[in-house]
Amino acid sequence: MAFPLPRGITPPEISFLAEMEMVTILPRQRLEGLELLGGPVEPLLPPRRASLPLWLALLLKRQRRANILPPTWLHPESLSLILEIETQHHEYQHAFSPPPPLPGQPSLRDRGQRPVAVPRYTPDGGRYYPAPPFLPQNVAQDHVPSGEPPSLPFHWLEVGTMLLDAASDDLVDPDQTRRLLKELREVRTAKIRSGVDVLDVASTGGGGVALTGVGAMEVGEGRGFIAGVVDGLRKIGASKEQARREQMAEDMANGGYDATQDDDDDMEF
Amino acid sequence: MSYYDIDSILTDAQKLPCTFELEVPGLGILEGNPGDNIKAGTRIDLPLWLGEMLSIGARLGTSRLVTLDIPSALSERVMNALKADPRTVDLRALAPHFYSLSERVLELFEEEEMVDVLINTFKKRASEIADHAHNPKGALGDGVEFLRGLDETERQLFRVAHDSAKETRIWAGEAKKR
Repeated sequence: MAFPLPRGITPPEISFLAEMEMVTILPRQRLEGLELLGGPVEPLLPPRRASLPLWLALLLKRQRRANILPPTWLHPESLSLILEIETQHHEYQHAFSPPPPLPGQPSLRDRGQRPVAVPRYTPDGGRYYPAPPFLPQNVAQDHVPSGEPPSLPFHWLEVGTMLLDAASDDLVDPDQTRRLLKELREVRTAKIRSGVDVLDVASTGGGGVALTGVGAMEVGEGRGFIAGVVDGLRKIGASKEQARREQMAEDMANGGYDATQDDDDDMEF
Repeated sequence: MSYYDIDSILTDAQKLPCTFELEVPGLGILEGNPGDNIKAGTRIDLPLWLGEMLSIGARLGTSRLVTLDIPSALSERVMNALKADPRTVDLRALAPHFYSLSERVLELFEEEEMVDVLINTFKKRASEIADHAHNPKGALGDGVEFLRGLDETERQLFRVAHDSAKETRIWAGEAKKR
C-alpha cells in the first residue's frame, strides 16, 4: 500500500513499450548496420526502405536523417472506415472493431473457417508462433490485400500520437488524421464506460468479459476503474455466490450433477 | 479486507440495531447508565464487531444473547429508493462505508433480493462515476451533488478513474502536469 504508483502501468510506460513496434522508414543518409539488444538493424541505404523500431525511427526523423512511412491504418481513409465500423455497424454497437488478424486466422469474410496457426522459424530453426508485439502491424504496406478491412493494432493510440507529434509532415493530411484519432478515442472510451453493465458477469466465478480489440493505452486507462468495479461487485455478491456454491455442492453430493466442472474456490481478481 | 485496512476497521465501528434477549448484569454502560443492568428486550445500537460477537449464540443454536436487525441504512425504505433510482440516493448520509457495511450485513442475513438491488445500484452508480471522473474539472463540475453522496468505496473508484484519465491526458499532452 505504500507504493505510490497505482496498480498497473502508467501511460508513459505504455508508450515506452509501444516504441518497440517496427515501422518503415525511408532513409536519407547511409547508416551502417547496428547491433541492438532487440536484434540487428540492417544497414540503411538511401533509396531503400527499412524496418526499424519506432524509437530509432523517431530519433532519425528528429535528426532529419529519415522519413517515416505511415502504416496503412494511419491513413485518413482507413481511419474513417474504422470509425464508421465503430459507430454505424450494428454488430459493433457495443463491441470494438476487430484487431488485425493473426497469421493463419481467417479474415472477417470467411469466419466459418477454422484458424490454422502459421509457425515461423528462428534463425536457429526453432519453431514459434508470433503474436503482437512481435508481429509487424505498423509497417507500411505497398499493396493492401483486397477485401481486408483496415484494423487498429494493439498500440494504435500510442503509435498514432507519437507519429503525429514527431513526423506529422510525413503523414497524409495530419489534421484530418488527428481529428479522426481523437474521434475514435472518444467513441471507444464511451464504449468502455457503457461496458460497466456487463461487468457483473466477470465478478461471478467462471465468468469473463471479452476485451478483444481494445488497445494498450485503453486497457491501461481503464484498468483501475474496471478492476475496482469488478472487485466491488464481487464483494457485494459474495453471499449469493456462496449460496450458489453450496447449492452446487449439494447437487453434486446428490448425484444429479456430473462432476465435470471443477470448482475453483478462491477466484481473486 | 486486511488487518491494517482503515476502511474495514471503520466499517467494524458502524452501528447495528440489537435487541437484548436476556438480562445482563452490569452492562448498563452501553445504554449510558453505568452500573445498572440491561433488561431483556432493550434495543441498543451496537458496533458491528460487538453485535456480531454477541449474536454468535444464535448461530450455534444455544440461547442467544442479542438478536440483530438490519441497520437503517439498508432498510426497506432505502431499498425501495435504490430500486426507483440509484443515482439520487445519498449513500454517504446513510452510512459512510455503505457497501462494506452491506457486505458484512449480507454475511449475517440471507437477503437474495438485497444483493440484486445492491449490485444494480453499484453498477448504475459506477457508470455515473466514470462519467464524472472523465470530466477534466474533477469534482467541481455540475455533479457535485451526486459526488458528495458517494460512499467510501465509490470515492476510491472515482479517484482511480479520475487519476488514470488525468495521467492519460497528461501523456497525450492535452493537460499540463499539475
